[in-house]
Amino acid sequence: AVSGNGLFTQTNPEVRRIVPIKRDNVPTVKIVYVVLEAQYQSSLSEAVQSLNKTSRFASYEVVGYLVEELRDKNTYNNFCEDLKDANIFIGSLIFVEELAIKVKDAVEKERDRMDAVLVFPSMPEVMRLNKLGSFSMSQLGQSKSPFFQLFKRKKQGSAGFADSMLKLVRTLPKVLKYLPSDKAQDARLYILSLQFWLGGSPDNLQNFVKMISGSYVPALKGVKIEYSDPVLFLDTGIWHPLAPTMYDDVKEYWNWYDTRRDTNDSLKRKDATVVGLVLQRSHIVTGDDSHYVAVIMELEARGAKVVPIFAGGLDFSGPVEKYFVDPVSKQPIVNSAVSLTGFALVGGPARQDHPRAIEALKKLDVPYLVAVPLVFQTTEEWLNSTLGLHPIQVALQVALPELDGAMEPIVFAGRDPRTGKSHALHKRVEQLCIRAIRWGELKRKTKAEKKLAITVFSFPPDKGNVGTAAYLNVFASIFSVLRDLKRDGYNVEGLPENAETLIEEIIHDKEAQFSSPNLNVAYKMGVREYQDLTPYANALEENWGKPPGNLNSDGENLLVYGKAYGNVFIGVQPTFGYEGDPMRLLFSKSASPHHGFAAYYSYVEKIFKADAVLHFGTHGSLEFMPGKQVGMSDACFPDSLIGNIPNVYYYAANNPSEATIAKRRSYANTISYLTPPAENAGLYKGLKQLSELISSYQSLKDTGRGPQIVSSIISTAKQCNLDKDVDLPDEGLELSPKDRDSVVGKVYSKIMEIESRLLPCGLHVIGEPPSAMEAVATLVNIAALDRPEDEISALPSILAECVGREIEDVYRGSDKGILSDVELLKEITDASRGAVSAFVEKTTNSKGQVVDVSDKLTSLLGFGINEPWVEYLSNTKFYRANRDKLRTVFGFLGECLKLVVMDNELGSLMQALEGKYVEPGPGGDPIRNPKVLPTGKNIHALDPQAIPTTAAMASAKIVVERLVERQKLENEGKYPETIALVLWGTDNIKTYGESLGQVLWMIGVRPIADTFGRVNRVEPVSLEELGRPRIDVVVNCSGVFRDLFINQMNLLDRAIKMVAELDEPVEQNFVRKHALEQAEALGIDIREAATRVFSNASGSYSANISLAVENSSWNDEKQLQDMYLSRKSFAFDSDAPGAGMAEKKQVFEMALSTAEVTFQNLDSSEISLTDVSHYFDSDPTNLVQSLRKDKKKPSSYIADTTTANAQVRTLSETVRLDARTKLLNPKWYEGMMSSGYEGVREIEKRLSNTVGWSATSGQVDNWVYEEANSTFIQDEEMLNRLMNTNPNSFRKMLQTFLEANGRGYWDTSAENIEKLKELYSQVEDKIEGIDR
Amino acid sequence: ASATTAETATIFDVLENHLVNQNFRQADEETRRLLIQISGEAAVKRGYVFFSEVKTISPEDLQAIDNLWIKHSDGRFGYSVQRKIWLKVKKDFTRFFVKVEWMKLLDTEVVQYNYRAFPDEFKWELNDETPLGHLPLTNALRGTQLLKCVLSHPAFATADDNSGETEDELNRGVAVAKEQAGVGADKRVFKTNYSF
Repeated sequence: AVSGNGLFTQTNPEVRRIVPIKRDNVPTVKIVYVVLEAQYQSSLSEAVQSLNKTSRFASYEVVGYLVEELRDKNTYNNFCEDLKDANIFIGSLIFVEELAIKVKDAVEKERDRMDAVLVFPSMPEVMRLNKLGSFSMSQLGQSKSPFFQLFKRKKQGSAGFADSMLKLVRTLPKVLKYLPSDKAQDARLYILSLQFWLGGSPDNLQNFVKMISGSYVPALKGVKIEYSDPVLFLDTGIWHPLAPTMYDDVKEYWNWYDTRRDTNDSLKRKDATVVGLVLQRSHIVTGDDSHYVAVIMELEARGAKVVPIFAGGLDFSGPVEKYFVDPVSKQPIVNSAVSLTGFALVGGPARQDHPRAIEALKKLDVPYLVAVPLVFQTTEEWLNSTLGLHPIQVALQVALPELDGAMEPIVFAGRDPRTGKSHALHKRVEQLCIRAIRWGELKRKTKAEKKLAITVFSFPPDKGNVGTAAYLNVFASIFSVLRDLKRDGYNVEGLPENAETLIEEIIHDKEAQFSSPNLNVAYKMGVREYQDLTPYANALEENWGKPPGNLNSDGENLLVYGKAYGNVFIGVQPTFGYEGDPMRLLFSKSASPHHGFAAYYSYVEKIFKADAVLHFGTHGSLEFMPGKQVGMSDACFPDSLIGNIPNVYYYAANNPSEATIAKRRSYANTISYLTPPAENAGLYKGLKQLSELISSYQSLKDTGRGPQIVSSIISTAKQCNLDKDVDLPDEGLELSPKDRDSVVGKVYSKIMEIESRLLPCGLHVIGEPPSAMEAVATLVNIAALDRPEDEISALPSILAECVGREIEDVYRGSDKGILSDVELLKEITDASRGAVSAFVEKTTNSKGQVVDVSDKLTSLLGFGINEPWVEYLSNTKFYRANRDKLRTVFGFLGECLKLVVMDNELGSLMQALEGKYVEPGPGGDPIRNPKVLPTGKNIHALDPQAIPTTAAMASAKIVVERLVERQKLENEGKYPETIALVLWGTDNIKTYGESLGQVLWMIGVRPIADTFGRVNRVEPVSLEELGRPRIDVVVNCSGVFRDLFINQMNLLDRAIKMVAELDEPVEQNFVRKHALEQAEALGIDIREAATRVFSNASGSYSANISLAVENSSWNDEKQLQDMYLSRKSFAFDSDAPGAGMAEKKQVFEMALSTAEVTFQNLDSSEISLTDVSHYFDSDPTNLVQSLRKDKKKPSSYIADTTTANAQVRTLSETVRLDARTKLLNPKWYEGMMSSGYEGVREIEKRLSNTVGWSATSGQVDNWVYEEANSTFIQDEEMLNRLMNTNPNSFRKMLQTFLEANGRGYWDTSAENIEKLKELYSQVEDKIEGIDR
Repeated sequence: ASATTAETATIFDVLENHLVNQNFRQADEETRRLLIQISGEAAVKRGYVFFSEVKTISPEDLQAIDNLWIKHSDGRFGYSVQRKIWLKVKKDFTRFFVKVEWMKLLDTEVVQYNYRAFPDEFKWELNDETPLGHLPLTNALRGTQLLKCVLSHPAFATADDNSGETEDELNRGVAVAKEQAGVGADKRVFKTNYSF
């Protein structure tokens, strides 16, 4: 059904066309209208139909277009055709610039000829088209007439603009007095028109049509056409379908409500839950309100009172405060609030004002949900689409409301294709209403009676992994949360004394007489009971057969693992269930959840009866289950699983993209937690010796001992395996002083790079913010970035400047290994650390807590001489650093420090559980964007149409140029023809689209933003400006990127196809070159051949290579490559975007076979190559090699933009750097060991991920495994610690070592292997012993 | 319609006439109009019935409508027929809509249903293919609370009431369903066999 018309939807304007029966002697008046939403369609159609039946003076022809439809070429042509003989044009709410321009261009041509042009709130360029007789708005924004002065403030198409129009309607009678009479008449009719339009009912619209045609259509001159004045409705107020009138006052509304005779008993109760609803006025006045009525009925039938408010403007913040908050007590009169408009609270489709929305919602302080009615799609289109909700609507009505802190983007209303009317989706309405009530009940219920289900994860499924979450010490955190809940009045009966006992009680099956692989069983659910409680159970049978199956099952019952303490249940979320099954991992689409998974959530909702579920840490698998991407239907598994339980989700602050998936697909309130405080990696063992040797070289190099020291440096560097990173001469070789400096400089630079690498140490515990001193390394890095938008200079820039250097210059020199620059950079780094430490010391008390930074600062700032950083710097060569700039940057650091150590994570959880509003905040990297702090905010992503920003584009260019240069050096000066790269969701959020920008720059196009800053267009950069050929790309989008940035995928695909079609020589345009070849080989057209934007099928995530590696469930590399190909070969096609992701394996393989470079970005210090499995999961290096005709291995690079000095390194360099700073670094693993049980698992995970890199790229050196073996296995003491702390994870570690050897990635001595095998059987025994 | 008064006999005449002529399309329209009419003046003015108005409808009126449908459809159409189906599917409206074919299966990868377009995709003839309970239509444009109240109306209360399934505890708001809710809740035996 979906064809290639460039549209996401297939609605047809023809259903809005009414052609009257021709009558003699009666003129026909033709009306063409363009509106954003369809609610005017039925009302206007009804008006015109009844006019045609009754009027004697004219026949009316009418045709309407929805704004989005004008994207289609044919539809647009029809629109232009229709305008050619139109008498009257009407437009409303046209706020998408691209389309506004199209409307303007088309209408402008006919404007003079037409009898009347009426445009209601829209972008200024469309507003200017207005004309009624002498009345015109062409001067809008320029004229000084009193009339236009009204528009003056905020004239830029903002919410304020629409509101000032409304104000105009009210104040107009006064204004008209000052206008000349004929002008006044036209202006008066314009205002009347607006009133008719905003009045919206068929009657009003009928009179509107009569008035306009009677006054302005020449053929009707002289005919007296009677019309009634507009029936006015309130602009804002309270509306209830049963109420005799609309109310402007909550008291009056309650007076009526309480006297209703139809209500049931629960509704009469004083303590009934009250749900506030926010409605769009136009739906009410036009009578297109079925979906609203459905929600009201559903809520009342379920015993909740409703306060349905509406507003005609685009700013709902005022009405929300006015009607939902008691003016006297300032307390909310509702328990939860649901907006049924789909829009952000302030700004609707125009310019949003999130701070204002947040301010209003903070005052309201109740859970705030924004549900979504289908606007651009019909019900069937939505159901048929694997994408789910229309991408434009996702951007407008899901992403933007999230910035206000909105939750639960549930599609509750569909749209009928013929009438355009909204209708309820009965099951969705039910779910929305129950969820809204349950959120509201959190506000009503006492703490003692509230039941909470804490859910932890286990990846991969193994006892040693229970309680997995990124950067989080889960059980210590749960313990801390429970202690606080208990103190706060929740029933947490039987909570053990400490976190260790808590772990023991949950992960061991106390009932089992012998050792059992099972966790503690909280509940055994019989099959019949399971089926009764789980209506969707039979949908799981296709993948898993009849229940109970063999996962989370004892063969007869389904098992729920966990343990309850009073009203708190701690449960273990089952896993995907197919981790160990290579065949299932190969499926191109994901399997449904298994019965055990469903049973877990049925238990939580229907047997344990949780008031809320708390998913503990980043992240589980519920939200990654198959279903539509966004805007799920009844048939989507995440929606069915979460059912009716309010969901709170602790999520790592640095992962806004996956948090957004959790928010959209599991309806979670995502509360951010901090990643552990970062520290500099430091130096150890041989690396430390090296650094000592270098400093003795610096002091002794001119004494004649230079050559000897350099020789030691070279041999030590070789021992440390630095020979692959630095070109080292032979030890005995005679070197000139200059060469000696150069060798030392290069080694030094490498050492510095390792030393200053930031790494999160240990694991974070909720409720335990870092101490001030622990925050120093983070602050030093925050200080290292220039922030021109805030006029803050970076500390290193200030320091470099005062010794007469530019910091960029120093970075370059240091990168090249120029000894004096390396030294200077070291001094700058040391001085930065010293100054920041001195500052932090001064702002903390004896216990190391921050004492009121701002007060302390003010007193500091008053006396420049006492500024601790100045004091510190006065003893260094940077004593002359610019004091004003220093003060600015330290003022900023003071603010950041306060935020870093702030403890809001527990507080926000409490708020969520008490049914309060949790303030939203961006997720991301606190170093780049300190607004991420303090944590404990409801994380959101960003406006997906805002990227890439200009700044991101600038950074992207630098990285692309460096990448290309680097590759040219290694490839005889030739440009790479194709680069295969990965787009990550989080990366693009944190950097505002840098990697997206990189792709655009590789192919040589630039993004164009509209006046709202939305990026919807691209244009080619000329080859002259580009200065190099356009480089072909193969873009692998992560599943999360696909969900979040489908519009950008669309943009990218359009850009690539546009480039392929440019008439340029193929040696200057590799996209075209390859596309032409592929078109010929495959017998397809060039546009299809230029398919380069790939991802998973909708509702599927990852290549599954990570699962296969983590679970050791793969045979050979070929199998992993097959997974990659089958899972990642779904292409997005901008020529048929509505089709979603379509499998294009052939083109994918052909495109990959041209790749000479594979490339990924690292965007923040705390997530590096071996920290997560995502990076190797998406790495195609070995796959490309096997696909290439010449079987040549592509070069692989990693861009590292985590520091001010962005780097492009080879993959193997990066793997080495990562191994040195993490897995092999005592500081790192000791930090992990201090977290106990979870720490061992973290160490094991790094090793396992390293094997992943061997498997997908072959870029791991042997010594990495060898060193790891000597660190963790050959050291008896270490070995025993690991074994005792978490035997299950230790066993996995042994297995991973043996696997690395068995698969040929690690070549080592027979003794080593013998020892590993011996240990393996030893630990098996040990595990049995512990369990007994 | 023997039990109805002379006055009500008049309002149901049109319906009867359509049904006698097997004119189901118009009978269906007329039934919806009647439902509004017997729900009171406010409903007439509004143009639809608000769920809470249903309880004010007299059982006789609803039964009168139902009896006419039953009588002229060999017992295959009518609210009471729908009610039986609805109870059988445990009051799950989606399953009910599928059963009476008010929803249709879509041709998608996963099993999904959409509402049938009115009136083209409905069946206006009574034959072997016409699903049981297909008419009269109470659409779900405004959700399912209205239909739920109609199907739970005392007019249709019969001995087999509890042959249906347990009442979802969340539906306690509906007054008429209350008694059943009590029974239902007791019926569900929770396992106390927690293994810890």
